[in-house]
Amino acid sequence: MLKSKLFSIHRICREMRATLWLGLFLVLLFLLPSQAWCQISIEIDRFSIKKFNIAIPDFTNLNVDETYPELSTALPEVVSHDLDLSGYFTPMDKAAFLETADGTLSPDNRSWSAIGADFLLMARYSVIGRNLEVEARLYDVFSGRQIIGRRFLGKVEIYRALMHRIGNEIMYKVIGRNGMFLTKLAFVSTSTGHKEVYISDYDGYNVEQVTFDESIALFPRWSPSGDKITFYSLRNGDWMLFLTNHTSKKVRTLLDRKGLYSGASWAPDGKRLAFTLSQDKPDIFILDLTRETVERVTSHGGINTSATFSPDGKKIAFVSNRSGSPQIYVRTLESGREERLTFQGNYNQSPSWSSLDRIAFSSYEKGRYNIYTMDSNGRNLKKLTEDQGDSEDPCWSPDGRYIVFSSNRRGEYHLYIMNENGQNQRQITFLKGAQTSPSWVAD
Amino acid sequence: MNKKTMTVLIALTVVCSALFLMTSCAHKEAVTEEVTTPPPSGPTEAELQAAREAEERAEQARREEEERMRQEAMVRQEMEDFESVNIYFDFDKSELTAEARAVLVKKADYLKKNSRYAVRIEGNCDERGTNEYNLALGDRRANAAKDFLASLGVSKDRMTTMSYGEERPLDSRSNEEAWAKNRNDQFVLVK
Repeated sequence: MLKSKLFSIHRICREMRATLWLGLFLVLLFLLPSQAWCQISIEIDRFSIKKFNIAIPDFTNLNVDETYPELSTALPEVVSHDLDLSGYFTPMDKAAFLETADGTLSPDNRSWSAIGADFLLMARYSVIGRNLEVEARLYDVFSGRQIIGRRFLGKVEIYRALMHRIGNEIMYKVIGRNGMFLTKLAFVSTSTGHKEVYISDYDGYNVEQVTFDESIALFPRWSPSGDKITFYSLRNGDWMLFLTNHTSKKVRTLLDRKGLYSGASWAPDGKRLAFTLSQDKPDIFILDLTRETVERVTSHGGINTSATFSPDGKKIAFVSNRSGSPQIYVRTLESGREERLTFQGNYNQSPSWSSLDRIAFSSYEKGRYNIYTMDSNGRNLKKLTEDQGDSEDPCWSPDGRYIVFSSNRRGEYHLYIMNENGQNQRQITFLKGAQTSPSWVAD
Repeated sequence: MNKKTMTVLIALTVVCSALFLMTSCAHKEAVTEEVTTPPPSGPTEAELQAAREAEERAEQARREEEERMRQEAMVRQEMEDFESVNIYFDFDKSELTAEARAVLVKKADYLKKNSRYAVRIEGNCDERGTNEYNLALGDRRANAAKDFLASLGVSKDRMTTMSYGEERPLDSRSNEEAWAKNRNDQFVLVK
């Protein structure tokens, strides 16, 4: 009952949105503040109502000599995959599409609504030299309106990036916020037999090996601006923290201190790094990159480690075993006030603080790891994974709407992404060996 | 001459010739001996003494070498024992068990007797928990052993600690038996 009601609300909402595109938005603005629409979308997401069915037929090849025929399916596949990973769309099976009498597909809404499509994406492409041009149109099948009509230009060899832009545009126009399809990941993989740092697109494509230490490299962490990655390595026989410049590929030693026992966690301003150092016991320290100072932050209890900054950079969440087992704590940096956040379960680790002020962490219970989220005051606890092997290393997307994590649910550890509410869990890395310890950065 | 006298004469002749033959033979042998055997030139008493001493020295050296090798083997064995005996921990704990303390008492004795060595204490964890937490836990485990050894009189200057977290398991399986093995401190002697 609730489901159908909410869904009908959304249908109305979408219709309104289509109307908006016809130019009546001024009138509507008075009647319904745009903020309210967003909230409706969030509600639908939270209650896990029906996802939007989107039909994406093969793109039409406009090249005179019909070169690049493979792009006709390869291009829509990228958009289709993006929209599936977004958790808001269900790309429809092409076999269901109804052709017109002359064997072509038309945007005529009756045939699309007959097969249950909510949206229809049709596109044409041509390649001149190395330049790919895609003209895409998105239709709202219910109203028959065209929501997007745009040309996208890019290099043919990086067509995935161009398609991600189309996906982002669809997310923006339909869901009302930017997509994450141009974001990037860094992670650890044992593909070569050693733990090395790799980077890839958010969907696991375009994998690139970053370290070749043939030692143990751990904890790759993107700087918030996405131009640098810190990582931790045993390449010189002792644990050291390194900084690699993503563009110049130059690696430099960031910290070389006895007792350095963690990777770095970037403050959102990119000017500070939190890490763990053991002078007498493991504690959290903050390195100020501008002032080049190192300051001790924690001192209480036994182990303090795994710091993650709040979105305003004024607090850190971290793991401490001061109560006898690892739990998540939060510390206000200026006042030094510390507060315990987790009380459920006796083994909670790896906090990750989202830009939307939620904290994800992993919890060990009955021999398995699962991922939970909570508000930054410890309230509103939600379990996101269950009965799916172990799920560990949660890390938020830059927009705070998705979580990337590692799981051994299909044997070896691979990376998966899911919506903030745990829905739509999808495997994104399929490399040899184990993929763990992901870090996510905006494009 | 009568028959009796003849018999006596023959007997005498036989005896005499036999005696002659025997003596001539003996004489011949003696001559041969004189020719083939050099006159005995026996070593002096001093020379004999020197030889005896050399032999004794060689024997002594051999015994010493044997003893040295035995000692070396023992030292090596002691070193091996020192390095091969780990201490083990309970899950998520860095407190020393009674068993671990007993092992560390022996290690402290060794370190006190062998002052030319320093020791690197390496803390390890089982695979459960995050790498980061386990690096910290391994550090606590290594420092627990270091503090205990220090309390037994081993200078802290001779001890360094290192944590490998869960990165260097002795047993790569994922079961209780392997985990128990992997929660350890290992000891490496450094000159």
